[in-house]
Amino acid sequence: MAEERTVDGRGLMPPEPMELTLTALDSLPDGEELLLLLYVEPHPLYGILKKNGYTYRSQSRPDGTVEIRIRKA
Amino acid sequence: MQPGLSFEQAPPISVPFRFFLTAPLFGMAAGLLLLWQGPAALASRWTGVALALTHLIAVGFMLQAMCGALLQMLPVAAGANIWQPQRVTHLTHAGLTVGTLLLLAGFLSEQALFFRIAVPFMTVSLGAFAVIVLFGLFRTPAKGPTIVALRIAVFGLIVTLSLGATLATSFGWQLALPLTEITHVHAAWGLGGWSLLLVAGVGYLVVPMFQLTPPYPGWFARSFSVTLFFLLAAWSITRLPLQRPDALQAALACAAALLAVAFAIVTLRLQGQRRRKVAEPTLLFWRLAMVCLILAAAGVALQQLKPGEGEDYAGTPFLLGVLLLVGVFMPVISGMLYKIMPFLNWLHLQKIGKPGLVVPNMRQMIPEPRMMMQLKLHLAALALLLGAVPLPWLVYPGGLALIASCAWLEWNVVEAARNYARFKVGLAEKLAAEQPD
Repeated sequence: MAEERTVDGRGLMPPEPMELTLTALDSLPDGEELLLLLYVEPHPLYGILKKNGYTYRSQSRPDGTVEIRIRKA
Repeated sequence: MQPGLSFEQAPPISVPFRFFLTAPLFGMAAGLLLLWQGPAALASRWTGVALALTHLIAVGFMLQAMCGALLQMLPVAAGANIWQPQRVTHLTHAGLTVGTLLLLAGFLSEQALFFRIAVPFMTVSLGAFAVIVLFGLFRTPAKGPTIVALRIAVFGLIVTLSLGATLATSFGWQLALPLTEITHVHAAWGLGGWSLLLVAGVGYLVVPMFQLTPPYPGWFARSFSVTLFFLLAAWSITRLPLQRPDALQAALACAAALLAVAFAIVTLRLQGQRRRKVAEPTLLFWRLAMVCLILAAAGVALQQLKPGEGEDYAGTPFLLGVLLLVGVFMPVISGMLYKIMPFLNWLHLQKIGKPGLVVPNMRQMIPEPRMMMQLKLHLAALALLLGAVPLPWLVYPGGLALIASCAWLEWNVVEAARNYARFKVGLAEKLAAEQPD
């Protein structure tokens, strides 16, 4: 069972969540998943992920939180 | 540490920055016009001077900054791509800058020639901008209340432009049209259908993001823009052929005003629940704007409920105009620029960085005390211009304060652009130094 790493960017001011996510992705082993929690859909991050061979799935929670699960393609 | 990921979604930084650098200059021009005309500027909302002032702020300052922000927002915040961003930028910037000057010349000189040039020029340039942006907004796979609000806002811009072109055509070619009625509808769509909906759409995104508040309640965010659109549309339809306000029109206008108050109250409440209880400049600009929105909406509702009263009092439209333009939209825009520009600097500097290279912090882009100083100058301008309604001589210090506020904003915007260039050179030098010989 792969371990899940989490970046909770909800209480953070941009660009901190993106900085933390990029840093976490840098050391994310193949097969593991990074969970990013935000109140918005991070479109600039999506562009970066697509260009660099990552896949992601996003899903909204009823409280407005967006869960983004990222892993290497 | 920054991983070596590539960034490509944001358009070149020069795209939004040219709009942001131009907008405050028109705000300064509005202050100069107030100084030149003095209390005569308050005489009536229908004088050439009043119309020139309104358009210097609404088109020269507001629309200029809003178009720049929207061109940037679409790819970054909505994942929507703009067709030919460079060409659209040139065309839109020229349309706004030259267009504002043409309108200014037309209103002040009352020469038909300026309107005859402005009509095709602004219709083509700004019309193309609106259609291309709307197309991008319908093509994006992104969903949610921001996208819905932005789509309706851009449609509102098209309505505003069409009615503005109709009015300018009648000035240019002396056509007999119901100018007063068209002007009311043009102003309502410009301020409500375009500007307020744009602020709402952008606010759903940036208020939680930059002010660390809880998100806007989903039901409110979803219903606000659609309801305001239908109220405005119904009000416009009942308004145009009838010529006189009746009960239905008044009820629709009051409902729209109430909705604007609801948006302001929801925003103020969310800001009250923010996680970091720090009073930073953007938050204070937004709070000022929301308080002015409540006052202006109350003023609009009062005018509807007691028609005739205060109609002879020329100060009422000036009061509402100052509240909405100087009190609501100029502060929101100033506050947004202080977040957007540092964020864009950071995003674009990231693009040239590489692993191990630290990009300067957002806080280093514009010094906070300088943003606070502009807020104080703007508050002074607002208070003095509101005070000019009972005491017309206050229009002179009010005009001066408006010039000072916009000059300070320009200085801060230039500082952000200069810091981008400076940090870019610094990063390039560091990268060159790390290259193996």
